[in-house]
Amino acid sequence: MATATDEQVRGAELGLLERLPWRRIILVVLSIVILAVVVIGAYKTLTLPADQRYTTTTWKDFIILGLAQGAIIGLIALGYTLVYGILRMINFAHGEVFMFGAFGAYFFSHAWEESGFLDSNPALSMALLLVVAMLVSMGVAILLERVAYRPLRNAPRLVPLITAIGASLFLANTARGFFGAQSRGFGVPAVLEGTWTILGVEVDRIQVVVLVTVIVAVTVLSLFVSKTTTGKSMRAVAADSEIASLMGIRVDRVIVITFAIGGLLAGIAAVLFSITFESVSFTMGFRPGIAAFTAAVLGGIGSISGAALGGVLLGLLQSIGPALILTGYGIPSSFQLKDAFTFLVLVLVLIFRPGGLLGSSEAEKV
Amino acid sequence: MGGVPTRSIVRAGLIGGAIAVFVALVGLYTKFADLALVGEQITLGRLLIIAPALVAAYAVTRPRIVAGERRSVPFGPGVVVGVMTGLVGGALFAAAVAFADWFGVDRIREVFVAVTEQLIAFLTFDKGVPGGLPELIGFCVVGGAIGGFARTAPEAVRRPASAGVLAVILFGLLQRIIPIVFVQLGFEADWLYDRGAGLTWFGGLIVFVVAAAANALWNRDGGRTRERVRRNVEQAPAAKVGLFVAILAILTIVPLLLGTVISEVLGSVMIYVLLGLGLNIVVGYAGLLDLGYVAFFAFGAYTTGLLTGAFLNTTTGAATPALSADLNFYVAVWIVALLAAGVGLLIGAPVLRLRGDYLAIVTLGLGEIVSVMTASKWAQPLIGGPQGMRGVTKAEVFGLNFQDNPQHFYYLALAFVLLAAFVSWRLSTSRIGRAWNAMREDEQVADAMGVSTTKFKLLAFALGGAIGSMGGALFAVSIGSLTPASFEITVSITALAVVIIGGLGSIPGVLVGALVLIGLPGLLREFEEYRPLIYGGALVAIMILRPQGLIPNVRRSRELEEEEVSQDVWARDAKGEAEAVAAVLPGGSLGVEREDLE
Repeated sequence: MATATDEQVRGAELGLLERLPWRRIILVVLSIVILAVVVIGAYKTLTLPADQRYTTTTWKDFIILGLAQGAIIGLIALGYTLVYGILRMINFAHGEVFMFGAFGAYFFSHAWEESGFLDSNPALSMALLLVVAMLVSMGVAILLERVAYRPLRNAPRLVPLITAIGASLFLANTARGFFGAQSRGFGVPAVLEGTWTILGVEVDRIQVVVLVTVIVAVTVLSLFVSKTTTGKSMRAVAADSEIASLMGIRVDRVIVITFAIGGLLAGIAAVLFSITFESVSFTMGFRPGIAAFTAAVLGGIGSISGAALGGVLLGLLQSIGPALILTGYGIPSSFQLKDAFTFLVLVLVLIFRPGGLLGSSEAEKV
Repeated sequence: MGGVPTRSIVRAGLIGGAIAVFVALVGLYTKFADLALVGEQITLGRLLIIAPALVAAYAVTRPRIVAGERRSVPFGPGVVVGVMTGLVGGALFAAAVAFADWFGVDRIREVFVAVTEQLIAFLTFDKGVPGGLPELIGFCVVGGAIGGFARTAPEAVRRPASAGVLAVILFGLLQRIIPIVFVQLGFEADWLYDRGAGLTWFGGLIVFVVAAAANALWNRDGGRTRERVRRNVEQAPAAKVGLFVAILAILTIVPLLLGTVISEVLGSVMIYVLLGLGLNIVVGYAGLLDLGYVAFFAFGAYTTGLLTGAFLNTTTGAATPALSADLNFYVAVWIVALLAAGVGLLIGAPVLRLRGDYLAIVTLGLGEIVSVMTASKWAQPLIGGPQGMRGVTKAEVFGLNFQDNPQHFYYLALAFVLLAAFVSWRLSTSRIGRAWNAMREDEQVADAMGVSTTKFKLLAFALGGAIGSMGGALFAVSIGSLTPASFEITVSITALAVVIIGGLGSIPGVLVGALVLIGLPGLLREFEEYRPLIYGGALVAIMILRPQGLIPNVRRSRELEEEEVSQDVWARDAKGEAEAVAAVLPGGSLGVEREDLE
């Protein structure tokens, strides 16, 4: 038909009216409610009677703890972000890659703890533990890519995701079969117990080690990605894998390297996580994995600085959030809800700003 | 050798050996060493020794494409290739066993807890190292030969033979059901099964012969009879109705034949059928991957508890929940379903914009929030927190007791399953079903064609939520007490595995998926520990080898067949060269590869 009648035009407008506003309204109402809950909760917590209130030192501890844990989460998040940037797939089993690295390090640290090597050569043994965990995690990551993901390279998007969920379950329970169901204590060199005073603030030594290691690792990674040829080809494949392959880049090789780098970072994170919490178990990959994924999404998935930033923000949120917001409402043991907090952040980010903080907000593409 | 490069044989053999070592380390051999399938000799453990070499040989003798032409491996060389594959795999496996023995079992066990003296004894047939190693290699060689045979023997031989072997294994695994059925029907079972063990040799032979003969009959004159029967059934509504009535009759009689213990297993199968049917609407019909389905399950269970007057567990005894009603179950369940549909809308509305993997992660997050909340102290006044609640109604009616009598409960669950299946079936063939179909295939095109994607997505969430909550309600009625441990992410993953392994969008598929994934492990308690391992492996394998599931949705598998050479076939290898079309066809094999051109 050449001309649209008035009725049709009005119909189209009506359609728009019917569609748009109510979802907007829900979102606006939701954000106001959340904001109110957060502000009131924080206010209530901070104005509690002096004997119930957290002291300044406690808050400072929360912040440092949050930074250290956030840094670890950020390292794992880098693995998600790198793979997502290149394959546009969520490597759900990355948490299990991390878990295997922790077990790899555990067996060495356990043996060295008994032989006294851990305490006599703390620096050397920590370095070796890092290498072991990095190698183990890298091996698992490469194997995972080869066996589970490569045959599905051109599949519809949900297929690799379901595969990844299956692989995650499989790897976690493989570790259970291999190493047993009980969790095991992870030894820490005696030197790292206790605190150091830095700029007048008492900081756990382990947290210092964690932060320094993460800063070094992220610096090396960004140098690698921006300066080396391999890094350049990674970025090229992330931008457009088809064109990159036309330009002579071996896409499959780049993908394997990406998984390997993700594994290396997960291995570092695994050692840092294990010395922080002093235990390893076959279920340890799941929650940090989800938290790291949340961090990657929060920062803007596909962006390296975004993953690091997201990790630190999420770590702070996890350590301060429940105490600051929930205590005010008199909720008992608010730390139990720490993980619910993580997921809530994830859900809210995806609803309000799917592109993340540093990414472009293109919900339609995902 | 028969067109198979030596390099491929060695590689396949090594992979097979590595898989065998993996199976040993993960503890499967120790677990299944004594589970006899036929006689005392054929145990599931021994079958697992054969299996890796068999699979490797089966894979390596696949047809290859040489210079654009598809070439099958001939029969004789095929078996030889299989034997060589088994030899390589067996050598690796035996070397690993010898190494473990030399290095010291106790030292290895500090890392790999499954490595024990019993494991070594089992793998060396109680003859020790090195006495038993030739036998171990021999088993692997036999496995390889069977693998080569199963791929390359003439069709008229290998089809009946495979059917016979599979039937024997199935009958062996069902050793705790079939004898009971026989006795209930008034037959002797002693000739078929050893008491408290697997098939007798004679019984195994009979099962093999009957299954093989049935298969040969079914496939006679090159599969033409099979095709004709299939076409007739597809075209004649009466045949379909007959099939449905037959399945229904079996489902109705089964618990009477099997007694209470097995009925309990069947009851939990039915709960997962219900969950699968609900999730099938969301994932299979509408194509929205929901990883937080446990949220509805938990919602249904706890709300049923609250509405029917359950009380909270506390350290001092019992307490009344902050919100409570004392309704009849048959009133409460509809209220629960309605509320859950509302929750579905609430969850669905904000995530409408998200697609694919992001949607999956958001739903996962919401599901986890529900799990964490149920276990938190914060939720204690309402639903009992970590201690949970007890005293959920027994939902008695006509003197049937649904909590203490698993047989009765099965019928209650069956009624709900039939309802959900009917609703799913009517929806899938209706305008709504077609709208979901269009939306799943391409959302933008569907939108442009005038399908209101908002409306239909929300409808899918609401319906899926309602059915899932009914599953929760039934679960609450069946066990009477609720603790947070029952509402973890494993429920979501298991329901998803049921739907995917059965076949996305297929109602009979959900039934089969639940029977395989919940029923089989429920009958063999030995499986319990390895359930998640097997689910995970099965999800990966099915996505790679047979993405349409065990019982595919007819329409969808037709789509897959039609588009086998177009862009929708994803089973190509990474270079995009090989045309591994066979991998996605029903009954497809491991695929064709083109490695000879390198």
